[in-house]
Amino acid sequence: MAGLGDVVRGTVQIAEAMGVTLKALATKPVTVEYPDEPIAVFPRYRGRHMLRRYDNGLERCIGCALCEAACPTGAIYVDAAENDPENPVSPGERYAKTYEVNFMRCVFCGDCEEACPVEAVVLTQAFPLPEQERRSMIFVKEQLLEPPDANIAIRPAH
Amino acid sequence: MPDLITITIDDVEYKVPNGMLLTDAAKLINIDIPVFCSHPKLDPLGACRMCLVEQDVRGRWMIVTACTIRVAEGMKFRYASPAATQAREDTLEFLLINHPLDCPICDKGGECPLQDQTLKHGPGVSQFQEIKNHKAKRYPISDLIMLDQERCIICWRCIRYLEEWEDKPQLGLFHRGDRSVIDFFPGQPVDAKTSGNIIELCPVGALTNRVSRFRYRPWDTKNIDSICVHCSQGCNVRLDGRIHQLRRVVARENMAVNDEWICDKGRFIHAFADAPERLTTPLIRDHKGGELREAGWEEALALVAQRLAFTADVQGPAAVGALGSAKLSNEAAYLLQKLMRGLVGSNNVDHRGGAAVLADPRGLSAIRDVEQADLIVLAGVDPAEEQPVLATFIRRAVRRRGAKLLILHPRQIEDTRYPGAYLPYKPGQEAALFEGLSRGLLQEARVKERAARLAGFADLVDGLGNAAVDAAGAEAVRLMLSAQRPMILYGPALVSGRAAAANRASLMNFALLAGCVERTFYLAPEANSVGARDMGLLPASLPGHAAIGDAPGRERLERLWGVKLPTQPGLGYDEMLEAAAAGRLRALYLVGSDPASQGPAGQAALQKVDFLVVQELFLTESAKLADVVLPAVSWAETDGTFTNLERRVQRAAQAIANPHSQAAPDWLIFTEMAKLWPAVAGEAKAEGKKSKRKSSGAARQWGYGSAAEVLDEITRAAPMYDKLSWDALGDEGTQWPLADAAGSPLSAVASRRLTPPERRSVAPGRDEYPYALVAGQVLFDYGTLMRQTEVTERVAAPVAVSINPADAAREKLAAGQPVSISSAVGQVVLPVRLDETVQPGTLWIPYSLPGAPAETLLGSVSAGSGARVRIAPGALSSSEKVG
Repeated sequence: MAGLGDVVRGTVQIAEAMGVTLKALATKPVTVEYPDEPIAVFPRYRGRHMLRRYDNGLERCIGCALCEAACPTGAIYVDAAENDPENPVSPGERYAKTYEVNFMRCVFCGDCEEACPVEAVVLTQAFPLPEQERRSMIFVKEQLLEPPDANIAIRPAH
Repeated sequence: MPDLITITIDDVEYKVPNGMLLTDAAKLINIDIPVFCSHPKLDPLGACRMCLVEQDVRGRWMIVTACTIRVAEGMKFRYASPAATQAREDTLEFLLINHPLDCPICDKGGECPLQDQTLKHGPGVSQFQEIKNHKAKRYPISDLIMLDQERCIICWRCIRYLEEWEDKPQLGLFHRGDRSVIDFFPGQPVDAKTSGNIIELCPVGALTNRVSRFRYRPWDTKNIDSICVHCSQGCNVRLDGRIHQLRRVVARENMAVNDEWICDKGRFIHAFADAPERLTTPLIRDHKGGELREAGWEEALALVAQRLAFTADVQGPAAVGALGSAKLSNEAAYLLQKLMRGLVGSNNVDHRGGAAVLADPRGLSAIRDVEQADLIVLAGVDPAEEQPVLATFIRRAVRRRGAKLLILHPRQIEDTRYPGAYLPYKPGQEAALFEGLSRGLLQEARVKERAARLAGFADLVDGLGNAAVDAAGAEAVRLMLSAQRPMILYGPALVSGRAAAANRASLMNFALLAGCVERTFYLAPEANSVGARDMGLLPASLPGHAAIGDAPGRERLERLWGVKLPTQPGLGYDEMLEAAAAGRLRALYLVGSDPASQGPAGQAALQKVDFLVVQELFLTESAKLADVVLPAVSWAETDGTFTNLERRVQRAAQAIANPHSQAAPDWLIFTEMAKLWPAVAGEAKAEGKKSKRKSSGAARQWGYGSAAEVLDEITRAAPMYDKLSWDALGDEGTQWPLADAAGSPLSAVASRRLTPPERRSVAPGRDEYPYALVAGQVLFDYGTLMRQTEVTERVAAPVAVSINPADAAREKLAAGQPVSISSAVGQVVLPVRLDETVQPGTLWIPYSLPGAPAETLLGSVSAGSGARVRIAPGALSSSEKVG
């Protein structure tokens, strides 16, 4: 049979618990309403690849395939071709005719970025990569050159 | 074995062969002295200074180049000393000062000696902070090779290759000091036929392959050892494939065959293997006049098997014929003739250049033998266009060993520039030319004395008469008699056509009189010309050169194949086309053969055939007329063996496979077709009822699971291929021995008997057709394998008729003007090209030009290489226009 002491103890415990609840009511929630709101990632987060361009619009990538050689999972495929001197795609003689990244294989290690001699391929902070089909997990050059707005925010560095 | 002497390197004594270059000697004792300009196949130069070592010269240590020093007893060197190491590091630092370091876009990156040695021997840093020199990048030195002058380290390898092997000094070093550049001479880009080898020799990425440029990285290609199938030399190559495409062809060393060189056709002409125009599925035409439709293999093969078997049953086996090709592998050629003989029961099987050519099946003794000769007679053959790598060996014999060339050719070919003699002739005069030479030889007493012992001598002397020998002939005779090791090489042009037998007899008489008949060799033209003959792809000869009429040879094959073989010789290439045109040949099976591209006569013949099957890579002119088209694969996409002009059986392994294509290897097509043959299928069914497990005898005959299994059967069918197997052939192939040929039909080829000359009625050059047409092979023609390539238009032979400028002036023709040329059988229109190497009174048109003008004028392949023609300005009728 419960004594008066139990009642008092129970009341105190409930009050303590309610205190936590009431305090939480007053704070801002941590839930991010993704995709309506951007998700904040750390500045050095490694996500989806991007192929950069120079300011004059030429592609940085020269199709050297060093990223392909450096890739530990064989996720990158590059096929190069010779630039038309009249209408070049990239500076110099060589450009990437085909550039594909297979995101089913990629482990986002960033070795490709390290290997690139012209800082053409970089890993962005974009992490959302859901696709409906396996086939569309292979991103081609056009997709990598102009990545869509990923709706992310960069967390301030500590 | 040369004497061993003692040298000292870094205070350690080594025994090395006397007189060897220090770099090579060091390699034997595992000291890897870095080099750039030095190359085992080129003369030492000492241009790059990469190999610096210290040498003790009379007590003082001097810096010397290891690549130019020949070792001798007691020499002392220092390789690892601080001074020597410093000298090499400094050299590399200097080499890199003006090197652009654009390795990521350079094709050599990954297989570059400069990269490797910079890592291994370089200082690791550069003190150079100024601006690098800029020179021409992307600078074409020919239609096939791109030069980047900035990358060049002036090692002279390209210059030396062109001088030492090609004997065409087409590249030179211009300017001095840090402005030095490799360049061609103004207006004369490099056009040597083996120029591509300088790409591989280049120790940096200065010279790159314009066909493969940027299409490969050395680390991500799948590399397969194979051979080249463009000519009969069978040069060893490596095929570099990527994503099922043939990206690059490079040479592979085989000292017996090609040293380490290949010609530009072998290196650059390979786009046909990946061409989008390739056939990928069987095609069937349901009724004459209808369209070809895509079909499955089952349907197509069953239809072919039924129709061929039906025609053989109803019209007789002689109404079915097959034309193969000397480009087919041994396995394909063997199975094609086995299918025709064993299942159809017909000996109507041949290939272009097969029965019509009186070829010597033994070919050349050995390719490198040409380098030992002191007189090389080229009779109706132009190695520079037909076997360019053999031509470099011949030039080597001329340049290094002082060999002379005696050239008999209707055209003043390139190698007539060498010491020796050139005897021009017009097609049809070959026999007379050799008879003249024989007469000249017989004027020499010792020749007469020796020849008097030969059978048929009196008749020969009688037939030759005693007409005078002209000055050029006398010079040729003098060369022949003064030579210690003469060698006669003749080509198919001399021993085909109507006068083939007379030409060969007169050539052999000449060789016998000169005492050089054992050193008289036939140069087969195509990749497997020798192999196709060994495999019995001929109307009158079975595998292993057993004649059809030779009962023991035939019975041996009957036991092996488990069938009865036909005993009557079949029809040859031209006879089959004639029989088709006359309606006697009702069904024709073309494998890699395209008679319709040889002018209107071939087309007409194919149109008359009831049932035409074409097995091809492309929808050729003949395939367009076919009832069934079977897609085959190229040599790069299946295993096969080829036998080259020196009887060397070599492997060509599968390098690539197109996953989007249903095309199949020839051997597999024949095997599957045989299984669907009504007799075979019926037998299998009957036996299957008796016992489920046991297959029929005939079906077992055709149970090949791979090309290697076909080769296993070939070793039993052709005695000279005995003991060969896919594995035993190895990377360098095996020559089948001539010793085994003793007593076989092969030994009959070299009879030591003089043949009296034929009495020819000398046909006067009728005014109606005043010119002699000369047709022949050029390296870059427009054949099936060339047509599909983007570089073709840049390097291919001009589509024109070449005429001597004197004749052009007399006929009032200007260069580029279209003219109409007609012979008794055809007429074509071509632009005029003036060419002093063409003899007056002749016209030169290469084979395999678009529209086949030479073939059209000749009428048939067995007409040989000559015809009488006339020439007139202007296009006569637009309908016959060519090109």
